[in-house]
Amino acid sequence: MKMKAAVLTEFNSPFQIETVDLQPPKAGEVLVKMAASGVCHSDWHVVEGLSYFPLPIICGHEGAGIVEAVGEGVTSVQPGDHATLSFRANCGDCYYCQRDKPNLCEVYTPVLRSGLMKDGTSRLSLNGEPIHIMTGLGCFAEYVVIPEEACVPVRRDVPLEIAALVGCAVSTGVGAAIYTADVRPGESVAVYGAGGVGLNIIMGAAMCGADPIIAVDTNSTKMEIAREFGATHTLYSDDTTVSQIQALTNGRGADHVFESVGLQVLQETGLDATRPGGTLTLVGLTPVGTGTNLPGAVITRTEKVIRGSFYGSVLPQRDFPMFLDLYSNGKLKLDELVTRRYGLDEINAAYQDMLTGEVARGIIVF
Amino acid sequence: MQMQAAILTEAHSPFKIETVDIDLPKAGEVLVKMAATGVCHSDWHLVAGKAPFPAPIILGHEGAGIVEAVGVGVSRVKRGDHVTLNWKACCGDCFYCQQDQPAICDTHAADINAGLLADGTSRIRWHGQPIYILGGLGTFAEYAVVRQESVVPIRKDVPLAVAALVGCAVSTGVGAAIYTAEVRPGQSVAVFGAGGVGLNIIQGAALCGADPIIAVDTNSNKMEIARDFGATHCLMSDDTVVAEIQKLSGGRGADHCFESVGIPALQETAIAAVRPGGIVTLVGITPQDAGTTIFGQVITVSERKIRGSAYGSVNPARDFHMLLDLYQAGKLKLEQLVTQRYRLDEINEGYASMLTGDMARGVIVF
Repeated sequence: MKMKAAVLTEFNSPFQIETVDLQPPKAGEVLVKMAASGVCHSDWHVVEGLSYFPLPIICGHEGAGIVEAVGEGVTSVQPGDHATLSFRANCGDCYYCQRDKPNLCEVYTPVLRSGLMKDGTSRLSLNGEPIHIMTGLGCFAEYVVIPEEACVPVRRDVPLEIAALVGCAVSTGVGAAIYTADVRPGESVAVYGAGGVGLNIIMGAAMCGADPIIAVDTNSTKMEIAREFGATHTLYSDDTTVSQIQALTNGRGADHVFESVGLQVLQETGLDATRPGGTLTLVGLTPVGTGTNLPGAVITRTEKVIRGSFYGSVLPQRDFPMFLDLYSNGKLKLDELVTRRYGLDEINAAYQDMLTGEVARGIIVF
Repeated sequence: MQMQAAILTEAHSPFKIETVDIDLPKAGEVLVKMAATGVCHSDWHLVAGKAPFPAPIILGHEGAGIVEAVGVGVSRVKRGDHVTLNWKACCGDCFYCQQDQPAICDTHAADINAGLLADGTSRIRWHGQPIYILGGLGTFAEYAVVRQESVVPIRKDVPLAVAALVGCAVSTGVGAAIYTAEVRPGQSVAVFGAGGVGLNIIQGAALCGADPIIAVDTNSNKMEIARDFGATHCLMSDDTVVAEIQKLSGGRGADHCFESVGIPALQETAIAAVRPGGIVTLVGITPQDAGTTIFGQVITVSERKIRGSAYGSVNPARDFHMLLDLYQAGKLKLEQLVTQRYRLDEINEGYASMLTGDMARGVIVF
């Protein structure tokens, strides 16, 4: 079939809206009609050539839609099901999947990096040339063909744009607080960056009973929204931030610090703001090939813990439904994350808005 | 010096308000002028003849006050400090304290169970005869002389009636949810009994992000207050309660059940209402000679777990502060627990009201 898609053909160039060819799903694959797709900073890393994905490519990894058709042997979804897409398809059976680390699945990690399906081919082409997809999805397009293991059925009574956010920002942020860092009631938390992911870390920390919750950002318009998501204090990021965080935590530093932006200097500062014995959780992605310099002796002597958090350590099949249940019961604010909606042909404008840092989350709706 | 105290001379008799003599604190001891003390069911076990005790005794184990004088070698507090009393003094140095299980520290157990202080004597006399104290405290009196391990200095900007509740009901309930059971965001919780402890389990579970939180009681008056404390559903306790809890938790049973009353039959119901692999936390204290029946394969084949929770597994020196900080930050409702205030000479009325089961917590104020 033919459909519209936003295709990236060169790094550091605009997305181009093209009519491309999409083949039907093969065995173990699912065709999903996209309803909503989030505008996330990780796609921008692809545009800037700071990731490992090959060109030409369809980006987009935070999406939800309705199952249109299923390939042979698919049992977990059927046409008509609402689905949130997982950008970390997990086999459920490998070393990591058996250890509750589906985000590190050995079977799918190389597949997702290749920009192709598990059989090494693409279902997409433009003028006969195959097109790659970002991390098994490529949801800046009207339809996607994805592995069954990336298609998580969800309740039908939630808006699909909300279901889309659960596929990346919500899982990454809330999951980082509740699973990776395991924040506990009464612990102090500082979050660097109050964007789409940072706000979800704040909300996850609040859900864990943390207090205080200190949001740090360079954009003063984000301070108020951070408070709505559960921040008890907001700090403008400058060279007094660490001492201000210490002042709010009995002089020790926070029990938990999260870096959600992906800047080396913020990761380094984050360690300073962590109390001895506390945990720094790295959520933001720094550019591939860059390094963060952390003082080894300080880490040893003060027993600070540094943890990487990828996809919030969630198990999509378990946690997407849980997050949407919590949303339905009023325990997670997801409507408030959607700051602006765009058509697919407005995608370049959407990324410009994201880069100005004014929006919590832009969403492309189909 | 002389003071008024409520004395229990034998089981099944009313408290008598008497003028007694109290000595100054010896080495390592602290004289506390009581400000508030809670009317708790655990004291009633002694009155009702369900737990042996040395007589005559001053009961009361949930209290707060102001340090009036300290004995030689006391370093933990000084005159004028506000303190919450700890009914399970812990040494900080034994096997259990080193495992972070101070609630089962046995260093002081023998003296405390004998109703005496560390040197095996009492500081209180009535007509020349020694008077025993409950829990190393005996807070149903205008003053208490206690070992320094029994006092925790606290912030001065919280009402002492609230600080008193932290000494038992709040720690026992909130601690059971956050420490003993380690409730996690999105888990389902059922709490049997919505009294002083049950309401605190409910708000502890809410602090942990649990959903749904199902309160079960026989008193319909408690349903509304249970909702104020975070219950999302309230059930009258009857023979459909297990089926109703299962219906509210995906047909499986709750991730966590708590029994806060101390009735063997209710403990058995809680075991039936927890999902396979779930955790039943026993908080209520059953009569000493009673037994609870665990049916055949309910535990082994379905991997249900049963945990005992004493004093909410808290570390008083760490957690009394944290609980009061959370109260000041608006994250714990403690004022709302104080349903009724009494003077010391109204203590028998206080217990009569407690037994009707209509109120959350009565507090005696001095």
